[in-house]
Amino acid sequence: MNAGNDEPKKEVHAMGNDYLWDRSGEPDPEIQRLEALLGRFQLNRPRPAFTEIAPARGWWFIPRRMQWLIALAAVAAVAAVCVLTVLVYERKPGRDTSAGWDVSAMEGTPRLGWRAVSEKGGKSRLGVGQTLETGPQARARLRDDEIGQIEVDPGTRLRLLNMGSGSKRIALDRGTIHTFIWAPPGQFVVDTPSAMAVDLGCAYTLHVDDTGAGLVRTSLGWVGFKLRGRESFIPAGAACLTRPNIGPGTPYFEDASSEFRSALMRFDFEDTAPEQRVADLGTVLAQSRPRDALTLWHLLSRVDGPQRAQVYTSLVKFVPLPSSVSETGILRLDQPMLDQWWNALGFDDIAVWRYWERSWSSAAPQANAK
Amino acid sequence: MGSGLEEGFEMLTAGLGGRPVREPLELSEDARLVGAARDGDRAAFGRLYDRYARMVHGILLAKAPIAAVDDLVQDVFVLALRRLSTLREVGSFGAWLAAIARNLARDHYRRSAPEEQLTVDVPQEEIELRASRGDQDASANLVLDAIKSLPDAYREPLILRLVEGLTGPEIARRTGLTPGSVRVNLHRGMQQLRAMLSPGPGSPGQEGAES
Repeated sequence: MNAGNDEPKKEVHAMGNDYLWDRSGEPDPEIQRLEALLGRFQLNRPRPAFTEIAPARGWWFIPRRMQWLIALAAVAAVAAVCVLTVLVYERKPGRDTSAGWDVSAMEGTPRLGWRAVSEKGGKSRLGVGQTLETGPQARARLRDDEIGQIEVDPGTRLRLLNMGSGSKRIALDRGTIHTFIWAPPGQFVVDTPSAMAVDLGCAYTLHVDDTGAGLVRTSLGWVGFKLRGRESFIPAGAACLTRPNIGPGTPYFEDASSEFRSALMRFDFEDTAPEQRVADLGTVLAQSRPRDALTLWHLLSRVDGPQRAQVYTSLVKFVPLPSSVSETGILRLDQPMLDQWWNALGFDDIAVWRYWERSWSSAAPQANAK
Repeated sequence: MGSGLEEGFEMLTAGLGGRPVREPLELSEDARLVGAARDGDRAAFGRLYDRYARMVHGILLAKAPIAAVDDLVQDVFVLALRRLSTLREVGSFGAWLAAIARNLARDHYRRSAPEEQLTVDVPQEEIELRASRGDQDASANLVLDAIKSLPDAYREPLILRLVEGLTGPEIARRTGLTPGSVRVNLHRGMQQLRAMLSPGPGSPGQEGAES
């Protein structure tokens, strides 16, 4: 969270409710009543016995006197490195300290624009508008303390589009990145030629091939994949393909059967005869397991008429409708009802996506932008 | 807890520097206690527990079912004790602990069976009626459900304020968030909660959270 723009500051100054903030000023009876009512939920358990829990051993198991010696040696080494760095960099142009990601080489020599980033050359900076290319042999690491960390595989080309306070965007033109993001959900966005990947609090791998087709695999949290009106949500353990001009396909768990995955891929992306589409949908439904509710929920809005009813019948066997949701509402694709059913699947709360979707609506997807 | 989450902590701990609002005295006390805990002083870790248990409880209560929260509080501190060696900036202990709590709550949510949709429209009359019948627990549950149906950015500060009894400045100091954003989110969250408890014409819509 931050209070970076002017609106919230104005709002803060306009607030007269000091009792809510720090209990100063005249008590607000409603807040007092809520405090009294909700106080019953406070932690009501004695402190655990931490004596029985062993911490992971760090380097402080070394005797204190020894630690001081090691620390002094480290300080001396750091000082020596600093002196050397100053000597080396005095002969080079100054580093760009504007908004951007720190870049370091993990392997080989990635290129930042025309400049090489060597493994021994320390960190460089990927600024807005700049391009990072790793070539066939190199790997690089991008890092920003407020956003997260990205490891960039060989053969990757990416550009930094934006580092604004509420939106951090990069464009992945081709190649593979492995991200671990700790910025709030919805702030980190990767544009690819075929879809926009939105971090919703997670770690994931994103691959884009030379045709612009993409694949996201989520290992922690979840990712939103979007192109125009078509969107997919990919929780941990699941994957999703995208194709240029089509957008994200239907997400699936990677342990689904190969028949299931092949049928789904044909159904999503291939221009097959109607009979083949019916057969492929039949295979997906027949081979679905309860956890494939993820796939079935997405299929609801991608099929029409009798096929939607078929998908509904399969999905409702795995996840009953919440009490406030009706079959007719689902079949006419009522968005709030679909969202409530999604929440019943047991993944993350879709309200997070809907909330942040509103904030992106002002910034159109950059798909295909070069 | 998944191995992915474990791996995540390594990177999380490296990324928590640079947050504002720690007061020097509190910061140095935290740093001293974290240092002592790393040296094996369990009483020091107990003091950290005393300082942060309410924050952790509130964060978990905002995201996990009530029945699981007390156990999760213990899980958070046990994990923190085991992973204390990975905390690089001792002054960021609160923010680090908050991140662990949010991750554990999310992990728990993913693993547990889906819950019923939260009740969002809770008329004041119904709460007062139940309260007058002595059904305080039921009305408290209704209000808590209402808070938990608010956007993420509002529910955490509201629960820390109204349930755990922390003031806004304390929430900012403990969680490492800026006082400005905590104050804005408390205010907006309270506005939405009031509207929910007494729905009627002119109820405010969804406002943007200060994240």
